[in-house]
Amino acid sequence: MNNKKVIELEMGAGGQKSEELIKNIRKVLNVKGKWKNTKDDGAVFELKNLWTSNVHNGHLMSIPKLVFTTDAFIVDPLFFPGGDIGKIAICGTLNDLAVMGAKPIGISLSLVIEEGFSQSDLEKIINSIQKISKETGVPIVTGDTKVTEKGKIDKIEITTSGVGLASKIISNNGAKVGDDIIVSGYLGEHAVALLAKRFNYQTKIKSDCQPLISEIQSVSKYLTSCKDPTRGGMAAVLNEMAQKSKTNFVLEEKTLPFKKETVAISELLGIDVFSFPSEGRFVATVAKKDSKKVIQILQKFNKTAKVIGWVERPARHASRSDAGGGLWLKTSIGSVKKIEVPRGKLIPRIC
Amino acid sequence: MEYKKILKNIQEKAEIIDRPIRFMELCGTHSESIAKHGIKNILPENIKLITGPGCPVCVTDQSEIDIITGLALAGIPIACYGDAVNIPGSLGSLENARQKGAQVFIVYDVAEALELSKKISNLVFWGIGFETTTVMTAWGIQNNLTVFSSHKLFPPAMEALLKNNKKNPVIASVAKQSRNFKYSLTKNGIATVAMLPRNDNRIDGFINPGHVSAIIGTEVYEKFQIPQVVAGFGAEDVLLAIEMLLNQIISGEKKVENEYVRLVKKEGNQKAQKIIYEVFEIRNASWRGLGEIKNSGLKIRKKYQQLDAEYIHRDLIAKIKKEIKPKKNARLDSRGRPLVDARRACRCGEVLQGLIESRQCPLFGKSCTPDNPQGACMVSREGSCNIEYRFS
Amino acid sequence: MCLAIPAKIIKINDQLAIVDFQGVQKEVNISLVDVKIGDYVMVHAGFAIEKMEKDNVKEIKKYLK
Repeated sequence: MNNKKVIELEMGAGGQKSEELIKNIRKVLNVKGKWKNTKDDGAVFELKNLWTSNVHNGHLMSIPKLVFTTDAFIVDPLFFPGGDIGKIAICGTLNDLAVMGAKPIGISLSLVIEEGFSQSDLEKIINSIQKISKETGVPIVTGDTKVTEKGKIDKIEITTSGVGLASKIISNNGAKVGDDIIVSGYLGEHAVALLAKRFNYQTKIKSDCQPLISEIQSVSKYLTSCKDPTRGGMAAVLNEMAQKSKTNFVLEEKTLPFKKETVAISELLGIDVFSFPSEGRFVATVAKKDSKKVIQILQKFNKTAKVIGWVERPARHASRSDAGGGLWLKTSIGSVKKIEVPRGKLIPRIC
Repeated sequence: MEYKKILKNIQEKAEIIDRPIRFMELCGTHSESIAKHGIKNILPENIKLITGPGCPVCVTDQSEIDIITGLALAGIPIACYGDAVNIPGSLGSLENARQKGAQVFIVYDVAEALELSKKISNLVFWGIGFETTTVMTAWGIQNNLTVFSSHKLFPPAMEALLKNNKKNPVIASVAKQSRNFKYSLTKNGIATVAMLPRNDNRIDGFINPGHVSAIIGTEVYEKFQIPQVVAGFGAEDVLLAIEMLLNQIISGEKKVENEYVRLVKKEGNQKAQKIIYEVFEIRNASWRGLGEIKNSGLKIRKKYQQLDAEYIHRDLIAKIKKEIKPKKNARLDSRGRPLVDARRACRCGEVLQGLIESRQCPLFGKSCTPDNPQGACMVSREGSCNIEYRFS
Repeated sequence: MCLAIPAKIIKINDQLAIVDFQGVQKEVNISLVDVKIGDYVMVHAGFAIEKMEKDNVKEIKKYLK
């Protein structure tokens, strides 16, 4: 890494600059191990590697795969309609395991707290972590707590790690030409709740932050690829899924999964709605023949689950810069345009 | 659906005209809307939309960026709109200044800047933009906000564009010329090449800005001898404006029409105009790419001098200007600032006037990308290079 | 330039008004326009810059649907 250069905020925003930064970090840390899927939301370890045989008492054992993930959380504001930093911290890690097809079995929790932080706020945060832990039956099994001098960090930072077990791994690169693209519900409401609070808008929208374990488990066998559209929103996530599977994802403007309030906030602040993060939704691809069934199951959890597009061969809309696959939108006037990977942080603009 | 009908009309009319037609959308929000709806892809081949100088970020002169960044680096807290933090100058951008510890705040509106100024002493709000945005800055000044004004007026820029349109009907670019060679064989079989006359850099009509017009009205445009339509920002609005422009071309008219009647009035918003001129007076201003344009800028009036950052920090600004020494032969404008873009290879200026396309700039897509913009047209989401890069 | 969004006036308090954009509400400055409750205005950076005419208003129709 170049020593003269400094870290820019944009490098943490999930766009291309983030990718470059991570690539540079990976370059240094390139010790090869037996882990797989290290470019997914979680890394996978084949437990069967630990045994010399999968035959036990004459029976063939099915040995699950171990999935491991970690995430650091900073949120401003800490409390918002529909959740707080604690709820996001636990849901985020649970969901990273869930989208890989894993059943979470334990979570670690590390807190770095700024001197002077309100004890009752900390209590609220811990309580919301406990609530999700209880609801999902996934225990917090280990942790660490540090307090820093005032001004050294901004209020509180939380890091969670999690392990889960999966019989079948769902990767983010498995989309097949002909698949349908589905969402588990309307997207972007986490962004709306946060932006509304930060810019002083009143709306009934609450953050969509929630654990996705049972939703994904109920349809996991049908999913060819899956991811939760957190940082960078569907624009980042669907582009990544399309590029990794070397296909084109095509969405239709008239079936986009956004509430009217979500669109309104995005237009008001001049921030692309496709880059709005969700904290309790997933996007996935499924074989066309399964998509009706999958939507029926998902609608039991959330009425707004639906098909939003389809997967095509990349040549169809490919242009010079995007021959490797990408995300496209059929607009309301019958044109086709590219949806870009978001760059930079969500900055409101007036022009 | 309505748009299909309009599109069919456009196709028929484009066929009747049967020559290349170039319309310029003057407003950056139109450029964004055109890209967002994929309008360019569905227009007939002989109709071309080009992006004009209507993105305030793109036309902000290098020298102004340098001064504001210099102020930030010298410890003056700066508040500005999110659009403006990434414009590169010779001292870097405001975002770079922030990385070095300067206080730079992104605000959504002037009221927020005003609130901030009560908590942070010496805060300077950087006012950029055209008439629409200027009203809010004027209101801020009336309410005791300190401002550095880079505000600009729109009609003088249109006038400058039209002057160039007349003066330079043929500004050839090598890439395009090749298509206009006529090959013919002489008697002894030698090919000769003759250049065909061409005028495809001429602009045939303007799509006038919607929200600027809401403030200034439509009468001010009547003096310009070119087909013009003031348009709203929906896909159908833009398509309808194109159809209306084609109608004018077919009937040989050059007038101002208003597609955006639901908002824009002939006389504009006079209350808003009054506030602007109560606080500001007209001066010359430098536009990136267009150079200095007479009477196109706004200066804070003397009665508000104590809120004018140019006045308050005049010594510091003089020092900053001295540090950013202009190259020896640089031409200076009437305010003593260099006219030439510091990054000479960047061809933003020609792109802004519709003289070349983004792709014809040698930096485009190579050393100049949205992540690492060399020129302002690549910075703003409304910039023509940024849009070209993102949507094609 | 000049991103602006149409909104409906739902409450007026002197120079300020609460406006509704598709279920999202915000206080904006209305000192540049003469309006009453129920009117539609175009809002740019915290200000209503102009009143919108209700008839033949595609944009309003779009926002009402």
